Amino acid sequence: MQGITSLLERIGRGAGKVVGILYQAGRESIDQVVKNILPFMAFIAFIIGIILKTGVGDVLARLLQPLANNPIGLIIMSLIIGLPVLSPLLGPGAVIAQIIGTLLGTQFASKALPAYIALPALFAINPQVGCDFIPVGLALGEAEPETVEVGVPAVLFSRLITGPIAVIIAWIFSVGL
Amino acid sequence: MDVLVQAAVWFIGLFQKGSEVFVGLVTGIIPLVIVLLTAFNALIALIGQERIDKIGEAAGKEGFQYMPLRYLVLPVVAVFVLTNPMAYTMGRFLPEKYKPAFYDAAVSFVHPPLGIFPHVNPGELFVWAGIAQGVTTGYGEAETAALAVRYLIVGLIVIFIRGIVTERITAFLWARRAG
Repeated sequence: MQGITSLLERIGRGAGKVVGILYQAGRESIDQVVKNILPFMAFIAFIIGIILKTGVGDVLARLLQPLANNPIGLIIMSLIIGLPVLSPLLGPGAVIAQIIGTLLGTQFASKALPAYIALPALFAINPQVGCDFIPVGLALGEAEPETVEVGVPAVLFSRLITGPIAVIIAWIFSVGL
Repeated sequence: MDVLVQAAVWFIGLFQKGSEVFVGLVTGIIPLVIVLLTAFNALIALIGQERIDKIGEAAGKEGFQYMPLRYLVLPVVAVFVLTNPMAYTMGRFLPEKYKPAFYDAAVSFVHPPLGIFPHVNPGELFVWAGIAQGVTTGYGEAETAALAVRYLIVGLIVIFIRGIVTERITAFLWARRAG
């Protein structure tokens, strides 16, 4: 009899733990949606609505088009966004990458840009990723101040080389899209 | 009077268009993201931090053969489990000279998985979703799925190259500074 009760107790405890973890996971995901995703969607929807309705989007898209519709243009785009002076300014919250991405998205939706451009474009709009965050990121990794002094320019210079390389690799991998 | 009415219609139209876009985003993206986020949040809670720390300790070793561990396995596991921005804390297991390169590899991996694993960086979902949403509208779901997989694969290659290049540049700058 005692064996059965302890078994039942163990099952109950285990199930309770799993349900607790799942429930907590659900709570976290709803939190993330409400705090991070929905506000950005509201912001994007507002901007896209105005861009589409006023025709500003066509003008912007026409400006981006010569850069976005060929490999050389995308490489040039990644070089500009990856410039060590610009990249830390364009980084915060990935807002710039998200807006350019959404603008290009409207061009894919209308088939003005072919689908195989999408992969290299994802890298061309994002060579600045995390460039605003280098000192904080290194501090999170418990880096010495000297490492931060060397690390900031090292990462910024590296992006000038690896930004265009990323676009080229993505271009190769976009075969068949 | 007609002009006023037309102006009003045009004005409200700006926001009606926005509301259509908003509804599309909410019904198209949010439900899937919520379920995926819940699944991965639970998985991460079950795996636990201690097991990840062990990989970090191994990745700090000297030598060429540890590069894939340092700039591929560690950043991927760190971003997947700890997510942005806590992933960068894994740098604490590495020698100082490797920390900038590890940060570069890790931070470059916070977007490529978004098409399949949005939990790594839900706040910056639109780096992926902006383009993906357009591709889905123009070319269909299957095309977007193919794009998501390729984005992840190219991301893996790119972070490995970034790790190596940044490690070299860091060594160069460090030597110049000392000399």
